[in-house]
Amino acid sequence: MLRFGLFLLWAFLGFCMLVLVTLPISLETQFITGMVVLIAMMILKLLGSEGNLRLIALAFGTAVVLRYAYWRTTSTLPPFNQLENFIPGFLLYLAEMYSVMMLALSLFVVSKPLPPRPSRRNANKRFPTVDVFIPTYNEDADLLANTMAAAKQMEYPADKLTVWLLDDGGTVQKRNSDKMIDANAAEERFRDLQKLAADLDVRYLTRERNEHAKAGNMNNALDQSEGELIVIFDADHAPARDFLLETVSYFDDDPKLFLVQTPHFFLNPDPVERNLRTFEKMPSENEMFYGIIQRGLDKWDASFFCGSAAVLRRTALAETNGFSGVSITEDCETAVELHSRGWSSLYIDRPLIAGLQPATFASFIGQRSRWAQGMMQILRFRFPPLKRGLSLPQRLCYMSSTLFWLFPFPRAIFLVAPLCYLFFDLQIFTASGGEFMAYTLSYMLVNLMMQNYLYGAFRWPWISELYEYVQTVHLLPAVISVILNPRKPTFKVTAKDESIARSRLSEISAPFFVIFFVLVIAVFVTIYRVYTEPFKADVTLVVGGWNLLNLIMAGCALGVVSERGEKAATRRVAVSRRCDFKLGDTWLQGTIENVSVNGARVNLIGAIPDGITIDDRAELRFKTHSDGNQGVLPVEIRNVERGGQNVIIGCRYLPQGAAHHKLVADLIFANSAQWTQFQLSRRGNPGLLRGTFWFLRLAFYQTYRGLVYLGRAARDRGSDKSASMAESRL
Amino acid sequence: MKRLAFPLSLTLATLAATTGLAQQSPFDMTPEKPAQESVPAPASPPQTAPAIGDPAQQTTPPQTGPAAAAPARPAVSESRRYLLPQPDIVLSGENALRSWAMYLTPEQAASPAKLNFGYQNAIVIAPEASRLKLSMNGVIIVDIPVESTESVSRAAFDIPAGVLRPGYNDVRIEASQRHRTDCTIQSTYELWSEINPEATYIDFSEPEAGRWQRVDDLRAIGTTPTAETRFNFVVPGADQAISTTPVMRLASGLGLMAEMPNQSFSISRKEAPPAGPGLATVVIGTAEELEPLLGKLPQGAEISPTTLIVDDSPFGPSTLVMTGPNWSAVGNAVEAFLTPLKRPTSQRATMSTHMWRMPDPPMVFEYSRLKFADLGINTQEFSGRRFRTNFAVSVPSDFFANAYGQATVLLDAAYTPDVMPGSHIDIYVNGNIAATVPITTGGGEFLRHLPIPVTMRHFEPGYNIIELEAVLLTESDNVCAPGATGSTDRRFVLFDTSELVMPNFARIAQRPNLSALSGTGSPYGRDAAQIPVIVDRTQPEALSSAATLLARLSVAAGRPISMDASVAPSAIGAQDAISVSTISQVPAGMLRQVGMPESMKTSWTENTGAEVAGASTETTLDEWQTRLRGSSWRGQISSLEEWLQRTFNVSLDTFRIFQGVEPEFVPNPGENFLLAQQQNPAGTGVWTVITAPSARLLEEGMRAMASQANWRQVAGRVTTYNNMSTVIRVTQPQDVTLVDTQPFSLRNYRRVMANWLSANAIAYSIALVVMSVLLGTATLIFLNALGRKD
Repeated sequence: MLRFGLFLLWAFLGFCMLVLVTLPISLETQFITGMVVLIAMMILKLLGSEGNLRLIALAFGTAVVLRYAYWRTTSTLPPFNQLENFIPGFLLYLAEMYSVMMLALSLFVVSKPLPPRPSRRNANKRFPTVDVFIPTYNEDADLLANTMAAAKQMEYPADKLTVWLLDDGGTVQKRNSDKMIDANAAEERFRDLQKLAADLDVRYLTRERNEHAKAGNMNNALDQSEGELIVIFDADHAPARDFLLETVSYFDDDPKLFLVQTPHFFLNPDPVERNLRTFEKMPSENEMFYGIIQRGLDKWDASFFCGSAAVLRRTALAETNGFSGVSITEDCETAVELHSRGWSSLYIDRPLIAGLQPATFASFIGQRSRWAQGMMQILRFRFPPLKRGLSLPQRLCYMSSTLFWLFPFPRAIFLVAPLCYLFFDLQIFTASGGEFMAYTLSYMLVNLMMQNYLYGAFRWPWISELYEYVQTVHLLPAVISVILNPRKPTFKVTAKDESIARSRLSEISAPFFVIFFVLVIAVFVTIYRVYTEPFKADVTLVVGGWNLLNLIMAGCALGVVSERGEKAATRRVAVSRRCDFKLGDTWLQGTIENVSVNGARVNLIGAIPDGITIDDRAELRFKTHSDGNQGVLPVEIRNVERGGQNVIIGCRYLPQGAAHHKLVADLIFANSAQWTQFQLSRRGNPGLLRGTFWFLRLAFYQTYRGLVYLGRAARDRGSDKSASMAESRL
Repeated sequence: MKRLAFPLSLTLATLAATTGLAQQSPFDMTPEKPAQESVPAPASPPQTAPAIGDPAQQTTPPQTGPAAAAPARPAVSESRRYLLPQPDIVLSGENALRSWAMYLTPEQAASPAKLNFGYQNAIVIAPEASRLKLSMNGVIIVDIPVESTESVSRAAFDIPAGVLRPGYNDVRIEASQRHRTDCTIQSTYELWSEINPEATYIDFSEPEAGRWQRVDDLRAIGTTPTAETRFNFVVPGADQAISTTPVMRLASGLGLMAEMPNQSFSISRKEAPPAGPGLATVVIGTAEELEPLLGKLPQGAEISPTTLIVDDSPFGPSTLVMTGPNWSAVGNAVEAFLTPLKRPTSQRATMSTHMWRMPDPPMVFEYSRLKFADLGINTQEFSGRRFRTNFAVSVPSDFFANAYGQATVLLDAAYTPDVMPGSHIDIYVNGNIAATVPITTGGGEFLRHLPIPVTMRHFEPGYNIIELEAVLLTESDNVCAPGATGSTDRRFVLFDTSELVMPNFARIAQRPNLSALSGTGSPYGRDAAQIPVIVDRTQPEALSSAATLLARLSVAAGRPISMDASVAPSAIGAQDAISVSTISQVPAGMLRQVGMPESMKTSWTENTGAEVAGASTETTLDEWQTRLRGSSWRGQISSLEEWLQRTFNVSLDTFRIFQGVEPEFVPNPGENFLLAQQQNPAGTGVWTVITAPSARLLEEGMRAMASQANWRQVAGRVTTYNNMSTVIRVTQPQDVTLVDTQPFSLRNYRRVMANWLSANAIAYSIALVVMSVLLGTATLIFLNALGRKD
């Protein structure tokens, strides 16, 4: 009753706002109002962007955005009888309205994200049986070994925990492949993994045929296992020791709970971060999703399954006959289905696994194409907005999640729109300079400020635009193809273990350079037209400014597709653990300072024996967190720095069996608190102005770097014409 | 993951700033503000007076014109009819058109007639490339080259039999004019031909043509040689209270019947000046009163109400006599005379302007699409540089969309590849620029229903003249080879399928609002109640003024004003009222009510005007501001303000939140006639006070203000007139009361709100901010109650 009363009050106020906003007021009033609202938002920002003021500031912003939408709809569309203007003009209008709609959905989703839940580590009363699934297709044994070892080392009663390696790379179908080489490789993989699993006390499972990809693989395992809860880890997602303790108990609180999802934390930068070198200081791209959007979805009981790092209830999955496999994003699809059947989900905002993300730009795009296509399939086959059983907030949330992936369309339109005017003289946006200032400019500023309010610490200004732009170029065809052929796309496993030996252009970088140079030409056209057509210089300047912005973005993207060669493929995590280090025949005392999946850095006290050289073998001994026993890990020395009293040695693991992998897993994945720490260290809101300047500087530098790489690539190609395709691809 | 997207940068801020300075800058082609600097032409509206000399002064009387047919100034015969309804018919620019209707009696239409045409033109007009045409009822009577540069040239033309017809006849004067040598846009402003009112007339050779036979023939009153129209009333009983109402009603009726643009009334108790063209003598009174004055009393005057056109010995032919046994019978005669002039209470479809401007402008009350063809604009091809045409539309007195409203012209036009980018099409409303469409593409274009938003800022109640001007630049004009000015290569065509789209606009009456008074006679034009008119009947000048005013109002309202002059000032109460008298006779309390101190009754004298006839403080101040502009930081600030003003119409006034208290109004020195309006103390009606320091100034001021050129300038809460400088000054109200005129309608209130908030920007901002805070808070509370709790 109270809720209904509140709703009436809210609806009434909303209606009043709508009436006020849709008044056809004059330009001068709009101009002044825009200024007043901007100033009010700035003042509110100074008072703090959190808590109750946040919603008021967002209401301010909403008013301006709505006014823009009203004006854009009523007075800026080109006349219908000028089709050459009307059609592109209407597309641009649609693109903008899409943006406005997505903003509205975002506002709904993240209006009030749930704060992180307190730790449940010590609150477990009952320990239900748990099956851990590690589906794999082509990942190599070392990677799997780490994951399996980490999974086995999770704190949980051993008799209640079963870890399964679900190998789709060693199916009967693969092993009997007509291609002899593939068949042999599959056979070998089948043998090796079986042995490795046995060593780690993990159950190896494969199946007859590779049907329904990942979903089919997991459904097969569902049939074979009987644990009450199912935990899914991707092959590269190694859990922390407290993963189960933090998640399992929720299932006893709520019998209708089907999912506990945790964030994906990545040890290595994505290609954008790596190439722009922002990994250490700027929040990662996915942090906005896991840090705030999932929390927002959680508020509406709509946080969805992200394929890994999650706990699911078997009885719930049984209702849908396991994981749905209509789309290539089975995770989200399964969640939609179960939500619509009245099950609920929950999200824990604490990194409990660490994984890898694609290292090259091409595989990054591959991964995103899969997400985009999968979401389009869900939209096509499940259509969440009208799906029976979902609550209204859930419908809106899923709309937001799926429709987001249409972004390549507006992004492409925003890119092309100014060119329509500059190159072809089309007039697709009917407004005067004054109107541009009073409406568009205030809208854009308000939009940026709202973004900053919503996601400030998680997403710096202009970074979203950059990510969208770099994806758009290749995602647009992918999305169009899935719209035309919704059943065509097939599940492709994203490669995450590539590394880049030397700096080179990405193999899919060509379109970015083409776009960049077209935009550069457009800048010259702008200048030319400003001088030759002074009577419309004002229009040309406004459109040219827009194009310039696109150019800055495109320039920055050149840096993104210029892959930096890098030695350390994965990030080092700072730790501080006592250890002994055996050099030659002597054990030296020391401290492990940081570790990565591949190696560690050890600070040793005392003199080291002479004659130690790179590539020498050594041994690292330390006490494990899991059982408190000492373990010895063989390593290879990679570098030596001598200090006064101490020596710092960088070494690479040489794991030779299950026991060694357990030690590596213990070193890296034992403690989830350090990941949280690292994330927090990057979070900080630079503010709109500082963020913009920072981005500009970044863009200029990256443009330069991209052009240098291009020059180098051209030189390589020119100087070595006989070089094969492989060479030129470097 | 999900976010908002719009890819324009902060750099736009600076870009757009330069944009604004560069002038209006449509992303495509639809501006809402003019580009005054960019046009090399004068910024003032196109009907700028010709630059060279004053044609009137150059007029040296009677020199024989080329046709040599006209005798040197014949004595004004009674069968002469002056053609021009207004004195100032100047055809300026490269193409110009005036058309109006002329009423002829059956005798005039039947009589053989000869047209005398006199005009003078600018010396720069090339005669071989320029022509003047005059047609009547579609038959061309005059078609001559424009070549009268020295003085007014006169020529006589026969009007073929059968062209003229009884009743209304179309008269149309068209000019096509080209410069002798200059191809610039600027030069087109130097082109003008002025039709001379005194030398342009029709002579009817039939003597009967000059004689009115019936009351309706009064419509054929026409104009004097100076293009005025005057009704001379002889009212022996003018000082009797009972006489005033019938006399005023008759004036209303006659004014409405003749509908001439410059008509005035003069009331005398005994005599009238001799009759002549443009003059009518009206004798009104009881039979007893008229007996001594008239040569012969009409038969039956002592028995019943009588209305007759007589040929009377003292007053001459065509004298209108209204009489009866007593004043109430005279009143009945007047009412009987008025009956056919009354219009039903339903809304009128057009305003009546045909006696000086054809066609009648449609009255627009709500959304409507008006075809140019119906507005009197034909498809026109044009070979010059500056094409102009105009039309008129009317809006009702409760029009309330000045601040937000936007009409749209859907333009059907085309231009050839010769027309270069940089050309533009402008739309002016009542002489103020309201839209500019730059032509940005070369190579010619066919514009099909191109929408041009036209701000309604300059619309006023009553008729509004909307002028469309195309400024066409071509390469050949840049070169300007000899003879290029007269080129007949068509460059531009305007199709009559173009439309004016009037939106639904806010309708609510404002008090005070003198422009509603001048536009449609509101609020006195309603037929409902008899409006108390307080007039000092002891002064014939005051009566004359009241008659002139009421006739004016009747024409504006389209019906005779329903009034009652017998109400005592103290009995007005809560009604609408009009007071016409010298300042000392303004009823007690009324002056204060319309915002003037009672002390003005003694301090405002005829002599105060004589002191300062020269520059006013304001103009001096303006002059100094202009002189100092840009030289200091103050100049910078004022140029910023100017830019804001230009781009957004933002001025310091915009930031006014609270309505100011209306300051007391005191006329400036030299101002010696005024109209002032305010709502009555009860808030139930509107009082309008028309006054002057003396009876002479009252009559003179009223006649001047009622003239076509001045009447529509009456606006605001006070309008003053300076008879020395002829400057009209409007004082806008600070505090306006809005009064419902329409049935309850949310849509109308929404529009009213839009207009009010557009005029009070800060109020809108505050409303939005308050709403945002409320909505934000409500959302917060609502969200806390919904979904999962923290």
